[in-house]
Amino acid sequence: MRTIATSRPSAGERMLQVTAEFGAGEFVIKPGRAGELYRMVLRYDAERNVPVHQYDARSGILRLGVESSGGAGIKVTTKAQMSQRAELFFAPEIPLALSANLGASDATLELGGLTLRSLSVGGGASRTTVNFSKPTRGECTSASFMIGAAELEVRGLANAGCRELRVEGGVGRVMLSFDGTWRQDTKAQVSLAMGGLTLRIPKGTGVQLVTSRFLAAFEAEGFTREGDTMTTPGFATATQKLVVELKASVTGVKVEWTP
Amino acid sequence: MRAGNRLRTLLTTALLLPTVPLHAAGPGGALGELSFRARTLLPTLLLLDPVVTPQAVAPSDQEGVVVNPANLEHPAQLERELRAALRDPLSETRLTVTGGTARLGSYSVGSAEQITGHIVVLKGNAEIHGRVDGNVVTLDGNVILHPGGMVTGDVLAIGGRVRQIGGNIAGSQMELEAAPTPHAELSVPVLVARRGAGLLGIGLTLLILGFGLVTFGRPNLEIVSDTVSHSFGRAFLAGLLGQVLILPTFGMMVVGLVLTIAGTVLVPFAAAVFILLAIIALIGGLLAVAHAMGETITRRRMAHGLRVSPNAYRYVMTGLGSLATIWLAWVAFGWVPLAGSLIFAGAMLLTWGIATVGFGASLLSRGGVREHFAGRILPPEMMTDEYLWATPQLGVPAVKRPPKDPTA
Repeated sequence: MRTIATSRPSAGERMLQVTAEFGAGEFVIKPGRAGELYRMVLRYDAERNVPVHQYDARSGILRLGVESSGGAGIKVTTKAQMSQRAELFFAPEIPLALSANLGASDATLELGGLTLRSLSVGGGASRTTVNFSKPTRGECTSASFMIGAAELEVRGLANAGCRELRVEGGVGRVMLSFDGTWRQDTKAQVSLAMGGLTLRIPKGTGVQLVTSRFLAAFEAEGFTREGDTMTTPGFATATQKLVVELKASVTGVKVEWTP
Repeated sequence: MRAGNRLRTLLTTALLLPTVPLHAAGPGGALGELSFRARTLLPTLLLLDPVVTPQAVAPSDQEGVVVNPANLEHPAQLERELRAALRDPLSETRLTVTGGTARLGSYSVGSAEQITGHIVVLKGNAEIHGRVDGNVVTLDGNVILHPGGMVTGDVLAIGGRVRQIGGNIAGSQMELEAAPTPHAELSVPVLVARRGAGLLGIGLTLLILGFGLVTFGRPNLEIVSDTVSHSFGRAFLAGLLGQVLILPTFGMMVVGLVLTIAGTVLVPFAAAVFILLAIIALIGGLLAVAHAMGETITRRRMAHGLRVSPNAYRYVMTGLGSLATIWLAWVAFGWVPLAGSLIFAGAMLLTWGIATVGFGASLLSRGGVREHFAGRILPPEMMTDEYLWATPQLGVPAVKRPPKDPTA
């Protein structure tokens, strides 16, 4: 195991497009210090992986993380690889388009307070927690999560303020919590093959669920059903609206209302 | 490195220390900077790190190492190349830096200086007081940027730190932990000597513990030893069961104490006592097995007419010596590729078996308190040699003398 720490001061950048690659271990993203464009502290398995740090100041494209030293992609072969750890920090004031491929990691992404333009999270067999503990800055166009056999928890989705939310899951458990401060109506597309989906929605939110289910159990109260569409009373006049297009097969779907 | 050079460099470094404006130190402040300086200098003062005389590195020949620090995206690769360039003695090092210069030992850019091009510093710190238009790389050294210092490019410290007391780094800062040095393959004699020393150390420790046990706990040791001799099979089974149940027992004890609420405070003490007792049972049991083995061996020798003193100290020593012979085979032949592993596995298995028997005997005899588990057939009073010549203490029923007059 070796450790590498890298950082760069911000110099009036307008945008930062980040691609984070990680194979196995613990992966953390947090807001960084003002004036510091990014910082990474990475502990990696030097026998199998090499650190990735590429930054193009002209385009604002940044690649961070690890990649296989053989160039054949990340493959988890030893327990030692699970003790890898990456901590990434990004300047809260710089607009950020973040794409993270988490492999088989245990990831915690604290994105509250960042100027998030877009978010894309992918993982094979990861356990991912994404938290927006406070509202992000600026406007977020989309957030997408593509997971294989994984556990995904996204909290504070209202704080994220993303217009579109897309979740594609293979096998696993997904929890989407739409708590926080609502800034705009949100449209979510959720597709889950097998597992469990929990939607936590604040009371008073106008919700429309358009479902396409196969062998999927649905457990929810407070909806009126019309064909495949379920709507909460007063949806048309609600100040905060959430439209969820749900495709689920062999999945338990549950809607929980939060105060 | 000559001693004169070391002393000169140390004095130079010490003299330079006060020139560092501590008030301008970074987040750690003056104390942090002093701590950093102390940590940096300590290995040198303790002669752990060789001091390198600062000098320029001559360019390498056509087949030598060439590095290009313009691209620091692959620091691990750069480290390999730089280490490949190092020679012994270091003054023989040759390195070509594309678009820059290489230095050996600590290097300083003065406040009035402006360097155009990359700087690679090997085995020393790069102290930047002036301006560097390029990248700065150190191998086994720190990059220290002082107030007024400026690096327009990136900074990489391999096996060192980047310290920004002041000044400005326009590009990226990187710190890469030095690659671990590969362990050299030990020669067979060294391997045998090292393992032999380890075995001797363990043997001596057990011998001291055994002698202590004989001195202060002889009755208990002998009872456990007798339990091993007379109830070997039962001791092994009890030891096996004990190993299986030790963790559940521990768990039950902790849960039981927690359930009583008041007993929660006792959990740490109970846990410590439990672990201590388990260790005592294991080591004490092992020593008791050694005692039993030693006793058997000694008595066989005596039966062959050898005149030795049969005492518990000898028993323990002889038994431990016998146990050590199992491992001596591994010490001697453990380096042989397949056989070594097999001998090791055999020795481990045998030692585990002996320890299990000892542990079980300790459990059966309650640490040498329950004497009857030693399997003694005769009562203690029969163990004296008096019964060989005197009237048996248990008595013989006397025959009633016939009356003189049968009619009376």
